Amino acid sequence: MRWLWYLFRAAWANLRTNRTTTVVAIVTTAFTLACVGIFLLSYVNLRNAAAWLQEDIKIIVYLDDRISGEETRELEGKLKADRMVAGVRYISKEQALGEFRAQFPSDSHLLEGLGENPLPASFIVTPATGYQSPDAVSRWAERARTMAGVAKVDYNQEWIDALAGLIRYIELTAIGVGMILSAAAVTIIGNTIRLALFARREEIEILRLIGATRAFIRIPYFLEGAVLGACGSALALGILKLGFELFRQQISSAGRFQGIENMVSFFPLSMCVAFVAVGMGLGVAGSVVSLRRFGEGRG
Amino acid sequence: MIQLIHVSKSYDRRVALFDVTMEIEKGEFVLLMGPSGAGKSTLLRMLIGEERPDEGQIFVQGKNVSRLKQSEVPYLRRKIGTVFQDFRLLGKKSVFENVALPLIVQRSSEADIRRKVMEALRAVGVDHKKDQSPNSLSTGEQQRVCIARAIVNGPVVLLADEPTGNLDPERTAELIELFKLINARGTTVVVATHDPHVMKLVNRRVMTLMQGVLIPEQRGGDRVDA
Repeated sequence: MRWLWYLFRAAWANLRTNRTTTVVAIVTTAFTLACVGIFLLSYVNLRNAAAWLQEDIKIIVYLDDRISGEETRELEGKLKADRMVAGVRYISKEQALGEFRAQFPSDSHLLEGLGENPLPASFIVTPATGYQSPDAVSRWAERARTMAGVAKVDYNQEWIDALAGLIRYIELTAIGVGMILSAAAVTIIGNTIRLALFARREEIEILRLIGATRAFIRIPYFLEGAVLGACGSALALGILKLGFELFRQQISSAGRFQGIENMVSFFPLSMCVAFVAVGMGLGVAGSVVSLRRFGEGRG
Repeated sequence: MIQLIHVSKSYDRRVALFDVTMEIEKGEFVLLMGPSGAGKSTLLRMLIGEERPDEGQIFVQGKNVSRLKQSEVPYLRRKIGTVFQDFRLLGKKSVFENVALPLIVQRSSEADIRRKVMEALRAVGVDHKKDQSPNSLSTGEQQRVCIARAIVNGPVVLLADEPTGNLDPERTAELIELFKLINARGTTVVVATHDPHVMKLVNRRVMTLMQGVLIPEQRGGDRVDA
């Protein structure tokens, strides 16, 4: 097992020999990845919000004023029997008026001049789990519009769509920024590895001449890259967590956004692990780039 | 053991080797003589797969080195021990660690490493310096450590490129005796040198290179003005 010990010790020696460069590489990689993390965190939280809103989506099926009581019950039965529907609540014309007055007390005089109650009766439909996606809701609404006695179908999809658009925009920005900053991280780590390669060029040459395989020579540098990437991304997570908690404290103390602080959340553990793994991957990529440039691996 | 068939090599327009054909038998001790720039080092580098010939073929233990894949080169080098003029020892590692390197890259067991390294160090007479840094040793001792590293994994061939270049006549004689001892144990030894004094000491087959061309063979001790 001395060979394994040798590889780990070589990687450790690389990190220790260029101590200042190692620290600078970790810190710069951390800030670079933290920038990517900000976009990722915004993206994750907006997606959660969108999913939460989508789960809470309600479809309002307005009824034709001319529909009889018998037809209303028939339609209610039809809606309840639909496998895409989880719940149906009937709102009569009177209830609708009552709700309007309760919600907009200062505007209730607007309806008084009209004499007859202009608000239609409706069914508030909750889509079943698995049928809450924008596509499914849209398809169901199209179908409901064709049902007998239905005057209009409405749902709060517009601003959910707007939110989805914003999420897509952030997603694309995160990908773009992520790619650019990842390349920067690869370059930063790659340059650190190059210094290690330069410092150990004599040893590399000897190893080659005494029969070390290309893999044997490269492994310490891959390990070094992986350690730099992992430390950088772990530090980035720490910076993000600190920033996130400060942000949550700020919105909590501001008072105007009360409740939001409980809706936003940090990355789950699985994502934190994936973040560090990606950092390690970028570190190894930096090593590969440097080893290629250095020309190591000649026969 | 070693066979070169019509081997030629040029760097840009400078001819390093021209139409060299030679054969070295198993267990032979051969001196490769010639002035600086005659092509001795190029020939040795070709034997370990560090350089490839422009023309011709090179066989080591029946393997065509000139057609070896890059991934096979390390395994060829494990069969060949190399002694360098500049020793190429790592100052940050102890004598023991330096000699252990060829065994470490072959993933030998801990017990094997300990046994073989101590055997090699004893064979060259520097076992008592195993924990020291090579930098704290004399030139002659450093050369012996380099030889210990070259023989530690029991190579079939030992190549030495100007091994006496940094040694005084007394140390040179000791070193040649050491090579003879290694050769007596069955290892084929090829020593490249421009030092006529070495030829006198060896008294074995001599191959002389002049401007990349191999000239007819002599025997060591016959001539000292090569």
